[in-house]
Amino acid sequence: MTDVTSQPPRPVDPPAAPARRSLLIEDPRTRRRNAAERRFRAYGVVAIALAMGALVFLLFTIFRDGTSAFFQTYARIPIAIEAQVVDPAGNRDPAEMQKVLTMGYGKLLDNSLAAYVEANGIEIEGLDDRDLSSFFSAQARADLRNAVLANPELVGTVIEAPVMTSSRIDGMFKGRVSRESAAIDAKTSVAQYDLAMAMQERGDLQTRFNWDFVTSTDSSDNRPEAAGLGVAILGSFYMMLIVLVLSLPIGVAASIYLEEFAPKNRLTDLIEVNISNLAAVPSIVFGILGLAVFINFAGLPRSAPIVGGLVLTLMTLPTIIISTRAALKAVPPSIRDAALGVGASRMQTMFHHVLPLAMPGILTGTIIGLAQALGETAPLLLIGMVAFVTTYPSAPPEGFLDPASALPVQVFNWTQRADPAFFERASGAIIVLLVFLLAMNLLAITLRRKFERRW
Amino acid sequence: MSPFWITIAILALAALGYLLGRSRSVRLAGGDTRALHSRPTYHGWHVALFTALPALVLLALARLLQAPGWLAPAALALGVAGLAVALSRTAPQFRARNVVEQVVRGILIVCSLIAIATTVAIVLSLVFESLRFFRMYPWQDFFFGTEWTPSFGGGSELGMLPLLWGTLYISLIALLVAVPVGLYAAIYMSEYATPRVRSVVKPAIEVLAGIPTIVYGLFALVTVGPLLRDWIAQPLGLGSSGSSVMTAGLVMGMMLIPFVSSLSDDIINAVPQSLRDGSLAMGSTHSETIRQVVLPAALPGIVGAVLLAASRAIGETMIVVLGAGAMARISPNPFEAMTTITVKIVGQLTGDNDFASPETLVAFALGLTLFVMTLGLNVLALYIVRKYREQYE
Amino acid sequence: MDDVRMVERVVDTDARDIKFQCKDVQVFYGEKHAIKDVSVDLLDKTVTAFIGPSGCGKSTFLRCLNRMNDTIGIARVQGRMLLDGEDIYDRRVDPVQLRARVGMVFQKPNPFPKSIYDNVAYGPRIHGLARNRAELDEIVEKALRGAALWNEVKDRLGETGTGLSGGQQQRLCIARAVATAPEVLLMDEPCSALDPIATAQVEELIDELRATFSVVIVTHSMQQAARVSQKTAFFHLGNLVEYGDTDDIFTRPRDPRTESYISGRIG
Repeated sequence: MTDVTSQPPRPVDPPAAPARRSLLIEDPRTRRRNAAERRFRAYGVVAIALAMGALVFLLFTIFRDGTSAFFQTYARIPIAIEAQVVDPAGNRDPAEMQKVLTMGYGKLLDNSLAAYVEANGIEIEGLDDRDLSSFFSAQARADLRNAVLANPELVGTVIEAPVMTSSRIDGMFKGRVSRESAAIDAKTSVAQYDLAMAMQERGDLQTRFNWDFVTSTDSSDNRPEAAGLGVAILGSFYMMLIVLVLSLPIGVAASIYLEEFAPKNRLTDLIEVNISNLAAVPSIVFGILGLAVFINFAGLPRSAPIVGGLVLTLMTLPTIIISTRAALKAVPPSIRDAALGVGASRMQTMFHHVLPLAMPGILTGTIIGLAQALGETAPLLLIGMVAFVTTYPSAPPEGFLDPASALPVQVFNWTQRADPAFFERASGAIIVLLVFLLAMNLLAITLRRKFERRW
Repeated sequence: MSPFWITIAILALAALGYLLGRSRSVRLAGGDTRALHSRPTYHGWHVALFTALPALVLLALARLLQAPGWLAPAALALGVAGLAVALSRTAPQFRARNVVEQVVRGILIVCSLIAIATTVAIVLSLVFESLRFFRMYPWQDFFFGTEWTPSFGGGSELGMLPLLWGTLYISLIALLVAVPVGLYAAIYMSEYATPRVRSVVKPAIEVLAGIPTIVYGLFALVTVGPLLRDWIAQPLGLGSSGSSVMTAGLVMGMMLIPFVSSLSDDIINAVPQSLRDGSLAMGSTHSETIRQVVLPAALPGIVGAVLLAASRAIGETMIVVLGAGAMARISPNPFEAMTTITVKIVGQLTGDNDFASPETLVAFALGLTLFVMTLGLNVLALYIVRKYREQYE
Repeated sequence: MDDVRMVERVVDTDARDIKFQCKDVQVFYGEKHAIKDVSVDLLDKTVTAFIGPSGCGKSTFLRCLNRMNDTIGIARVQGRMLLDGEDIYDRRVDPVQLRARVGMVFQKPNPFPKSIYDNVAYGPRIHGLARNRAELDEIVEKALRGAALWNEVKDRLGETGTGLSGGQQQRLCIARAVATAPEVLLMDEPCSALDPIATAQVEELIDELRATFSVVIVTHSMQQAARVSQKTAFFHLGNLVEYGDTDDIFTRPRDPRTESYISGRIG
């Protein structure tokens, strides 16, 4: 462009003054430019459609794969509690009966199923003992044992209670297992498939809503049908409790200081830069911090909600501080002036006037921070929350130190299992997680709508 | 007594102190509270704070340093002492409000220092353990090694380059997806969309941002991975793995769309309307205005947003753990499984750890590398964005 | 100020052609009736000033002349506005083409964050007015000379336009508008953000622009209207109260409202 100045303007033809055409006719150049305009607009529409489409596809697959986790197939056949199997001593003493392990109860179920097949005249080619013994979930034996130990009266009677079937039988009614796939699956067989279909025809197999998925504990690799989210939900709940109790007061206190009292100096600048950077530090780094400081240095137990809660608190603090400061900033200075004008101290102005007015905004930010924390997975893996836990943590405060899992970690945990039946559970767990997140976000939106103030 | 119950006891003592302090101040004033320098409530708070604070600090120190058990009851004793001292100081002319406000101010400062303490703790824990690692394993081999074959039996090769390659490759694909889609979506929403469309689309895109990364991870593992493998990679003979750079990159790109679009949206909206008017008044079309005036004006801010997105991509964990695979290799084929720094941090630090072996400690060196990379990007991005904001204020 | 310009500047406006013919123009902002029944003929190669108290609709009316109101979703225009006999609100008219012929300069200088050269070359580039670089250079130089800015910036055309002083920025914006070779130049209070010296320079420029363009200027300063314009239109509450030769309006107003405004009783 500088060359313009170096040479004097040459007497070139004056640029042809564009002939004035009628405004009512679109000239070719304008037509081309308008076409470019439409194309550009279309890119925007395509981009939004892509984003929306991805969101819909994601949610669709999760719900398609996960809904079935909330349903479970149960058999309803007469079960004979044979006294010689479960109570060899014959004195109905629960302490004595403890010696019979779950294996023994498996035999009861197998015998009852065989008797059922015979009684109903079901004839299936190639149906062998293995098909019968793997028909029910291993969990069903344990459940039956617990029921009998709790109520020794049952010994010697024939009861009719729903019995949980194995994940393969369950899968036959959820479209996961077909007759063809059963033929090549080591854990089931065509004969088992036919038996299940025959039982369903008679109305003795039913797929019904399964609360146990939400309430019961995790279970081992060979019984995916019994795995539940109870411990994970409880663990997540404990952690959210800790995050709320710690991060809200600390975050609000820090914001108040930075927004209202902090002098403008290097230290304040450092804190501010620090907070914005902390908000962008990868979550896994917080996991390393938790492992090094809370577990290795402070000696807190692994897999404990207290450690998870502390790590998530540190992660959530920047979010809460940023939104709290925005809420404090939104309170007009006139309110402060009014309070200071009647002789209130700055501290009184803050706590009596500004803070109550900013509270809805603060709470909204806190809930959104909690929602983020609830979905966080990576740091929890490093502090051992991924452990296999089958007992519920006890009530707080002791429960904060008990091993527990967390919802998102449970999802990860189930994706690492060999049996594909766990994938259904993982998607189902995500549905539960999303329901919690949705509830929290709706609460935040309601709060914002209800208390929103325009100054 | 467990620390929990001691805490409860101290708090109860503080509550008692509040009541005592308040009633004592009223009594000393002879019932006429106008004679007091500070309102009775402040005298109450004064006593309560002096009861609880020193005791709780001692208790926390005792817990943190795993000091002998007698320190816990000692904390309770300290609480009683604090209560007595504070009560004895209570007098009509005592400036309880000023004292209380000073203490509260101190508490506020301590709370805001937690942010710095967190950063310091992160740096210290990463640096110390990394130093231990580098004493066992030469740093040249770590930073420039191209082999990653950890084995707890010894003789591990712990070269970071294959992990760095996977990290950068996946991040690149993610940005190639997220930046155009996010940017065009932001442009459409801030420049073209009617308020009604905007009120539907904007929250919907923000839903994407609210979905936890584990959900994206599962989506990559169960849906996108097999889809890419069956429809693209296998027919083209490019690979037979569901986990791949492409899988993780695409899904991560999807996750980053709302991140790029909401930041860009803010930045585009910050471009003054007068510039748009100036351009439109010269007879440029809307898209010419956007491309030639609005975007160049917003460019620094958008660059900042992209850098922040890149930092997110580099530090993302769950999507790559579930979508990228665990094979450490350097290959240009995006349909092969590769692995990232974050995947290996998880891999080396979950399960039973031996904090004396380089195979575990390498995770801290990886963490330090990750932290430095993302911190650099964040500082740069925040600096650019801040400069940009100042330009139009 | 340069009072020489104020006197003996009477031109024979009757001999000029009509550039813009407006009949029964109504403008609505949502429910608000912002312009009521305005009919006015704007002359070619003449400076027309719109004056009136704030909120009287003078800027709104100005923005209708190159359809800048289209960018505000809720604005609605009725009536006829003919540019050289063609209705600019005809369905077939593309505002893009219209605005190339009716340029605009705004209240606050709004140079693009580009180089001075690129600011001026922006219009010619999008409208394809130059066949090559040499032609573009020439257009840019001519426009900058036309805006009386060439001598100040010719050695730093590559520098960014936002680095200039306020008055220079506004003249750059005028150069930018002039570069597309419009027929009409609309100016919305072009001097309100400038200091007196810069104002004088811009006013002098406006007087020169009259030779080539039809200029319409909105101003809140009656002195400015008197200094630069040949025709003046007085707006009040959305109505065009009085329109005539500037000298007549300021010396012999016919309408009592005009007189009140001129004498400073309303406004």
